[in-house]
Amino acid sequence: MFKGDNSDRPSKNVETIIGPSVKVEGDFNGDGDVIVEGIVVGNLATKNHLRVGKGARVQAKVTAQSAFIAGEVNGNVTAEESVELTSSAKVKGDITTNSLSIEKGAKINGKITMNGQKKTEMEIPAEVKNK
Amino acid sequence: MYLYVYDAFLNHKKYASLLNRIENRLADLEIKGKICRLNVLKNMQEVIEDGIKNGVKTVVAVGDDQTFSKIVNVIAEMDITLGIIPSDNKSKIAEILGIPEGEQACDVLAQRLVKKIDLGKINHQYFIDSATISDSQAILDFDKFKISPTTKKSIISICNLGFLSTNQSIYKQRLSIPTDGLLEAVIAPIKETFFAKTKSANQSIFPFKKIQIASKSEPVTVTIDQQAVFKTPVNVSIAPKKLKIIVGNKRLF
Repeated sequence: MFKGDNSDRPSKNVETIIGPSVKVEGDFNGDGDVIVEGIVVGNLATKNHLRVGKGARVQAKVTAQSAFIAGEVNGNVTAEESVELTSSAKVKGDITTNSLSIEKGAKINGKITMNGQKKTEMEIPAEVKNK
Repeated sequence: MYLYVYDAFLNHKKYASLLNRIENRLADLEIKGKICRLNVLKNMQEVIEDGIKNGVKTVVAVGDDQTFSKIVNVIAEMDITLGIIPSDNKSKIAEILGIPEGEQACDVLAQRLVKKIDLGKINHQYFIDSATISDSQAILDFDKFKISPTTKKSIISICNLGFLSTNQSIYKQRLSIPTDGLLEAVIAPIKETFFAKTKSANQSIFPFKKIQIASKSEPVTVTIDQQAVFKTPVNVSIAPKKLKIIVGNKRLF
């Protein structure tokens, strides 16, 4: 499941790539898959899959169908289907999703809300750190 | 009725045999028409307007990518079909449209498979291929968000048709499809080595329908299809299904 940054993982529906040499400011709305390797400030929303790469810095409210996070996110993350955090992920904000996987070493500072059928709510006050 | 427009550079005698072969093939296929050889005194616009007055429905440009780009601007607003015959195998536009070089292109013309493709539009100028900005001071304003390069040197390309990148893992061999109703903004940082400047693999790609290109300080230059030049700010938009063009079976979209 977690194999580094998965940077070579092909995506069938890639539409937008925010590369490491680019800064996006404002409300970004995408329809297809979005890959973030650079800087995003504002809001970041897509109707499909979002991948935040290892070197990416996102200071934004993030909304997607599913999210794979290996970089830094400063803001709330909402994903209808799933959120996947790798060991290099740093999330400072609340996560709302149906399915969540966290690799050892990922750092989360915020509230996690699982919107599954049972609608259970779990709060993680401290960071999940790599020993 | 067909009108064949030969670009001025084909007046050189080294192209005489190629043009003869093309004309013979067109005669074999019974799609011969009026031939106009451009020169300093014969302007492309006048030639095509005269042809339309005489009932021309298909204009065939013979030349290279610059010829095809020029003719697109002339006929974009007219109700005619464009065909192209590349004089060599270096034409990117012909490769993507599936048109072979020289007399082989005549067979594709005879099959007459017509597609309506999108054109890009910068202010009032159309482009078939791409517009480029070689300045990191440029800002792409997408109405709700703005994009700016963070590196000192980068190339911004606005693509309608063509390969978005050749060396990026995810977009490998991906085309900017000219029938999808979208243009793509590609931002590529430039790596400078002792011998050459190369585009880095870390490209950014943004599909869009309409943007404004501005600059952080001094106006920057926007070059369309390697010929026309504009200064920022400019409005860039897509003109969907604007051009009727003859394509081949081996087209890449």
